Amino acid sequence: MRIIATVLVLLFLLGPVSVTGQRRQVVFKEVAEQVGLRFQHYNGMTGKFYLPEITGSGGALFDFDNDGDLDVFLVQGNTLEPNTQPSTTLFPWRGPETPRGRLFRNDLNAKGAQLLFTDVTSQSGIVATGYGMGVAVGDINNDGLPDLYLTNLGSNQMYLNKGGGKFTDVTKESGTDDPRWSTSASFFDYDRDGWLDLMVVNYADFTVANSPNCFASNTARDYCTPRVFRSPGNRLFHNKGNGVFEDVTVSAGVSKEFGHGLGIVTADFNNDGWIDVYVANDGDQNQLWTNQKNGTFVNEALLAGAAVNRNGQTEAGMGVDVGDFDGNGTDDIFVTHLMDEINALFVNLGQAVFEERTREAGLGMPGRRFTGFGTLFFDYDNDGWLDLFVANGAVQLIQKLVRQKNPFPLGQPNQLFRNTGKGGFVEIMDQAELQPLEVSRGAVVGDVDNDGDADVLVTNNNGPARLLLNQVGNQNHWLGLRVIGKSGRDMLGALVEIVVTENNVLRRRVRTDGSYLSGNDPRVLVGLGQSLKVKAVRVRWPGGITEEWKDVRVDQYTTLKEGR
Amino acid sequence: MRNRTVKNFLAIVFLVITPVVYSQSSRKDLVPVRWPDLTNLEPTVREQVKALENWVVIAARNPVIPPTGLGEDYGKLGQIYHAYSLISPAHDCYLNASVLAPKDFRWIYLLAKLDQQEGRFEDAIRRYRSARSLRPDYVAVPINLGNIYLELNRLDEAKTSFSAALELDKNNAAAHYGLGQVALSSRSYAEAIRQFEATLAQVPSANRVHYSLAMAYRGVGDLEKVKAHLAQQGSVGVRVADPLVDGLQNLIEGERLPLARGKLAFEAKRYAEAAEEFRKAVAAKPDSVIARINLGVTLSQLGDVQGAAEQFEEAIRIDPGRVNAHYNLAILLAGQGKHEQAIAHLQSALAVDPNDSSVGLLLGSELVKLGRCSEASELAAKLRTNFPCRPKE
Repeated sequence: MRIIATVLVLLFLLGPVSVTGQRRQVVFKEVAEQVGLRFQHYNGMTGKFYLPEITGSGGALFDFDNDGDLDVFLVQGNTLEPNTQPSTTLFPWRGPETPRGRLFRNDLNAKGAQLLFTDVTSQSGIVATGYGMGVAVGDINNDGLPDLYLTNLGSNQMYLNKGGGKFTDVTKESGTDDPRWSTSASFFDYDRDGWLDLMVVNYADFTVANSPNCFASNTARDYCTPRVFRSPGNRLFHNKGNGVFEDVTVSAGVSKEFGHGLGIVTADFNNDGWIDVYVANDGDQNQLWTNQKNGTFVNEALLAGAAVNRNGQTEAGMGVDVGDFDGNGTDDIFVTHLMDEINALFVNLGQAVFEERTREAGLGMPGRRFTGFGTLFFDYDNDGWLDLFVANGAVQLIQKLVRQKNPFPLGQPNQLFRNTGKGGFVEIMDQAELQPLEVSRGAVVGDVDNDGDADVLVTNNNGPARLLLNQVGNQNHWLGLRVIGKSGRDMLGALVEIVVTENNVLRRRVRTDGSYLSGNDPRVLVGLGQSLKVKAVRVRWPGGITEEWKDVRVDQYTTLKEGR
Repeated sequence: MRNRTVKNFLAIVFLVITPVVYSQSSRKDLVPVRWPDLTNLEPTVREQVKALENWVVIAARNPVIPPTGLGEDYGKLGQIYHAYSLISPAHDCYLNASVLAPKDFRWIYLLAKLDQQEGRFEDAIRRYRSARSLRPDYVAVPINLGNIYLELNRLDEAKTSFSAALELDKNNAAAHYGLGQVALSSRSYAEAIRQFEATLAQVPSANRVHYSLAMAYRGVGDLEKVKAHLAQQGSVGVRVADPLVDGLQNLIEGERLPLARGKLAFEAKRYAEAAEEFRKAVAAKPDSVIARINLGVTLSQLGDVQGAAEQFEEAIRIDPGRVNAHYNLAILLAGQGKHEQAIAHLQSALAVDPNDSSVGLLLGSELVKLGRCSEASELAAKLRTNFPCRPKE
């Protein structure tokens, strides 16, 4: 009796124990509703299986009011068919006003470290009532305030952040519209002129009128693949620095290759100091646009070994992220795919020579069961190794859910993979907050509560937004960096090297892009494990200059400013 | 004596007219089938599946049917489900079939195949091994096992399985390809090159192999060969001969799946295969305009202009307002120098969709060929283009 009591006490102290005998960590706690992030995505479904209704939407974590905490923008859908009221669709819209993208202010610092969001859409000037897909974040006029680019099925919108919580629609004057079906977009400075340029990825030449009836292999109606629609091609806008962008798609060479684009990420893959672009295509070869340093790009994905899987097959590329997961000083690529395909991990061997090593890294089998969309390389446990998050949700009806009379039978759980530090990953199982069968699309990373660990915002199609607060990361030491230029803008594309020891240099990039339809926290959050200090932090600025900082304190955020 | 004869007679009669009741023990191990929701299936398919489901339900209640017979019924229903990708019920049926007829290779093999498709690899391995003990000569078994081990990154076992397949068939392309992938994973590039080249020697049309071969050449630093093979890479992969799985396609009825498969084959430029599928679609639904147009386009790719024209004409007969049928037929007619007829079809198409620029442009060019300049000019104005035209003398 006494022995049993002792065992029970011990178990209680140690926390949940899995059947393998290992201590089970609760990594995330879902708090969206609790902290005021109340958002229900609306997709306008009418039962006619229109492809856009299962494609969106994304979200962004960004500090629009520069108060030191991350605010949230969530993209909303709408009706697809003309003359349809949102209240009459298959999943009727119940909101008090018409569906629109929403801006939530984080009042963390104002409330004394208590996380609380306030919906400030109506006073923000953002009127996002199109059929929304994604969002990209970047400071286009170097005023230190992050601006928003919203992608839609139809015309896109560029919103300039005027400060004071106000945004102005500058789409027309900036020349950044693309009236086609745009999905993900990325801000990056490809020509090193100090202004953020913009690349917009387009998916398919869809209209309600040209949408055919498609059928699953059981002969029942189902969603079409994008291949039944022409791929419209992507668009590159060059920022002229005067509030106007120039469409340089043709002159830059990116019009030469087409694909049904869904994901985009930028990084210096060949380590030549110039930012390259990777586009994940659905059913077509992915593209690796290497920067030729003269305003043009060449797609070298096939030769680089990053266009198709190891069998030479094109797959359904959805989301994509980049990170140096193996710590060898090069940026690797992870692309999410359809269920029955496996996701793809393209390992950068150096100089943008890639090998697909998905199964060798333990990511083959686990990805086969689900359709992945948003994905993130991030260090959830702050051990210094980049882990992986994958947001899942099917695009073709799941027969098991159909049989159960599920009205939206596309739901799948999300996944978290821990980097073993030995070139591979293991799936973290039994996480209750990842289990709900939802149709997840966007995954956005950022330290929402500024406690030194990475949280994840998940957007769900025809479902609520979820905010997964990290419960474990700050048990290790960490380093938080905001990397800004002389103008005060986040220097997207800057390469940060954290010298923990001479033999342990962590490489991270400043970015908001990657994942799927989403914009991430531009700050760099680096896990240090048990290290209490770092020797130095080096920043290679997008302009090519490198600076070094000593004595950067751990377990807090520090701003590194170009030119000091 | 007489008495004895009567007795014998009675015994015979008893054997003939009294139904044999088989032991129910194997039936106790059967799993309930997760019947699929057939509501949204193509009507022809729904009827096909429902009829077989009903038969199995009745058979399962009938104790006179021997276990192997009931196993056959479950297996056949499983195959139908499998053919239509109704995976869970197919799984249940195969499971029951393999319980009732444990020596029947087909059911355990197809069950393993489903497990493999669904990613239940440990179950698949176990069942493939059982299947191999029943039919050691079925070369698809070690190939499938090899592919599973490859996906699990168990490279030594993958190599053993592919090698076993080569022992059964020394020229098996799928086995060479698998060994190439094992070598590529191990970064044994020279061996990968050897195996991929052996694959292509057996199946030169499998142009997707050129990609893997290019990656292997990249590993040994031969950039010229890399570029040469990337230039040849395509979408046709290596298929293992698997009569049981391939045979499932013959069970498919209705128009929709042959149409889908035909489109896939067409995209992969396998036109003969595409034509065969589209013919099946036409046979299943003779008034299917889509099937006929697709068949017509495919036949024209195969050089059968007459056959193609017949399909387009039939499509137009069924639906006179079908733009694509008129347009495609016009292209064929124009190619034969029958410009007047081509123009008539293009005008019919344009009457249905005046904004179709492809139709408009072709019509303009045909009008120019016949020197009908005023009509061409009128059309050019509508299309905001220009058709340089010289009137015929």
